[in-house]
Amino acid sequence: MSAVSDFPDWGDPHSPANSYRLSQGYITDTFPQTSVPNMVTAVLADYRGYDTMFETVVIFTAGIAIIGILRRYGPKDKVIPEQKLYKKEPDLIVETTCRLMIPIIQLFALYVVAHGHHSPGGGFQGGVIFGASFILLALARDLQAAQKWVPESRILKLAGTGIFIYAGFGFLCLLLGSNFLDYAILHKVMGVTPIEARSHSMLGVEIGVAFTVTAIMFSIYSNLASNGYMKEGL
Amino acid sequence: MIEQSPALILIPPFLVAILVALVGFRYQKVCFPLTVLSLAGSVVACVVTLMRVIEGGTIRYFIAGWAPPFGIEFRIDGLNALVAVTVSSVGLLAAIYSKNRVPAENPDKVSQYYTLFLLLITGLLGMVITGDAFNLYVMLEVAALTSYALIAMGPKRATLAAYKYVIMGTIGASFYLLGVGYLYIKTGSLNMFDIHEVLKANDLFGSPAVLVAFIMITVGVWIKMAFFPLHAWLPNSYAYAPTTSSAILGPLVTKVMIYVMIRLTLTVFGVEYTFIQLEWSNIVVWMSVLAILAGSISALAQTDLRKMLAFLIIAEVGYMVGGVWLADETGMIGAIYHIIADAFMTLCVFLFAGILFAKTGKRDLSAMDGQFKKMPLTLVGFLVGAFSLIGIPPTAGFFSKWYLIQGGINSGHYEYVIALLISSLINAVLFFRMIEIAYFGVKPAEGHDHNHSSDHDSGRSEASASMLIPLLITAAILLLIGIFNKDLVAIITDFVSPFNIASGAR
Repeated sequence: MSAVSDFPDWGDPHSPANSYRLSQGYITDTFPQTSVPNMVTAVLADYRGYDTMFETVVIFTAGIAIIGILRRYGPKDKVIPEQKLYKKEPDLIVETTCRLMIPIIQLFALYVVAHGHHSPGGGFQGGVIFGASFILLALARDLQAAQKWVPESRILKLAGTGIFIYAGFGFLCLLLGSNFLDYAILHKVMGVTPIEARSHSMLGVEIGVAFTVTAIMFSIYSNLASNGYMKEGL
Repeated sequence: MIEQSPALILIPPFLVAILVALVGFRYQKVCFPLTVLSLAGSVVACVVTLMRVIEGGTIRYFIAGWAPPFGIEFRIDGLNALVAVTVSSVGLLAAIYSKNRVPAENPDKVSQYYTLFLLLITGLLGMVITGDAFNLYVMLEVAALTSYALIAMGPKRATLAAYKYVIMGTIGASFYLLGVGYLYIKTGSLNMFDIHEVLKANDLFGSPAVLVAFIMITVGVWIKMAFFPLHAWLPNSYAYAPTTSSAILGPLVTKVMIYVMIRLTLTVFGVEYTFIQLEWSNIVVWMSVLAILAGSISALAQTDLRKMLAFLIIAEVGYMVGGVWLADETGMIGAIYHIIADAFMTLCVFLFAGILFAKTGKRDLSAMDGQFKKMPLTLVGFLVGAFSLIGIPPTAGFFSKWYLIQGGINSGHYEYVIALLISSLINAVLFFRMIEIAYFGVKPAEGHDHNHSSDHDSGRSEASASMLIPLLITAAILLLIGIFNKDLVAIITDFVSPFNIASGAR
């Protein structure tokens, strides 16, 4: 409590966090240095891209941990009796709505990923929306239907590929002779100016983040909903 | 490539972790060799970095080429480099040990296990080499999440223990994050060195917000390192986890958190603020005395071998926290030395506990019965670890305790010295009891039955090579650290002396 009285005023433009050269530098230099209009994305994916990479790893870890703890591999020949598997009669209204909604949701997710440069959005948000579309499918039909689109092995591949895209950008910079994650050096491969290379690479890593988040979202849902057996869902 | 060595510490385990997750799902056999290779690469990078630090002083590595405070930097000095070498080599040894144990304990989930294992090492190494307060939190989360999962993959009781750890660990991490947030509000920066500069330039040391930040960060880190009143999560988690998990978590997690505490007190808040302005040294040293005594006495009451070792870790944490807060240069050197020594001795005894559990399937001390006859080499490895924990020269434990005691005497904290000595005596009691059982058996009185059974399995059966070799290497390292303590202390002194911590009696 005593600490709160010591804080700068709410919204004070001269508070240390606002007036220090860090924020000032971000505000004035972001566009010239990276040619990304959305400052938040630039800070997230470039200035502090290393943090973001490991935030993605945190999500990946959560997914792997859930699989590691919950996933149970029942005997292969054991078939769950038919009456125990809760088969839903396909409901016309739900079915049609989902059929209409899911493509739109997925398109919107792609838009959010791609448009992170200009407006709020980016890999994490887009990935969550994309993952939600699969969960909607699993809820509307059953888990098996969704599994047909994203079976477990594909989930792991997707999630791993996502981080590989991110880390690959970083590692490529290192191989080309610059520091880890220093996208500017990628202009040698991309055929654009170093500043634009930064901008393009940010889009690349956002896509990587989106891959991982999508896969892990659905993986956590399906493991939790099916008690780790991946047979029947809610 | 050599100037990239700081980044190369982290990259091999990180990339291979993902590779293992991708490929290992189908081809389980590749997980183990990939893991060992990547960690070996990391060890090499750490050693190269250490050499560079010894030659040329602090290394600064700007990730993405942005100079701090805009970007994140690795800032590696003598302390970081030493701890990083320790972390990566302990990881490598535990990985070699895991060869047979992981498929035995988690047959379906080998690839997930190794992914988490490598990510844990990545997180710990990231915490050690970073120079950014928020990045430290991110790495803390990576390390914490993986360790929860590594514990929960054990048998039934492990899940409950891991749940307790999740709750406590999350509270600790949140405290840390809040503290960093307060610091950001007051300084506007996240880089550790930059925060210190701003605190000094604007004379913010009297500010209550900075005080609250200091308390929150310290308490958060204390929870994570299981400092005595906040230790409740540790014993069960480490006792019931899969043996490989406890062999990697036991030595590393608490030690790395102690490194974080030293880094934050010395670099972010500075010596004058922590030790002179706040005047809390006395209280914290008394708390560490309590921690040492409580840990040792609880260990005395245990019959489960791994639980006993877990309580010893709590006592050791008390040593190191006390050593730091003695506010004495020798004490600080002792604490840093003890981080390295303790990582290896804990690894040594936990590896032995794992081997014993694998051999006999028993958790309690009776598993030691007659083991000297059966696996003499393994026991030799264990003896070195045990002697080091007791503090018998020329093992590493003797020298670190020597410096800690000297620091205690210099700064006039005799209660700390006495607690250390009592705890060493208790360690002696604990380990000689085990040695006695290993030599003479549990019940020498029951002549008939006992003879019969010992005839039955008196043949030598050493632990398999993949388990024995890391144990013996660890034992050798303990002796080497002990014998070459002068060189090690020289590196640590180079790091500590610029901070001008008071030395000698006051």
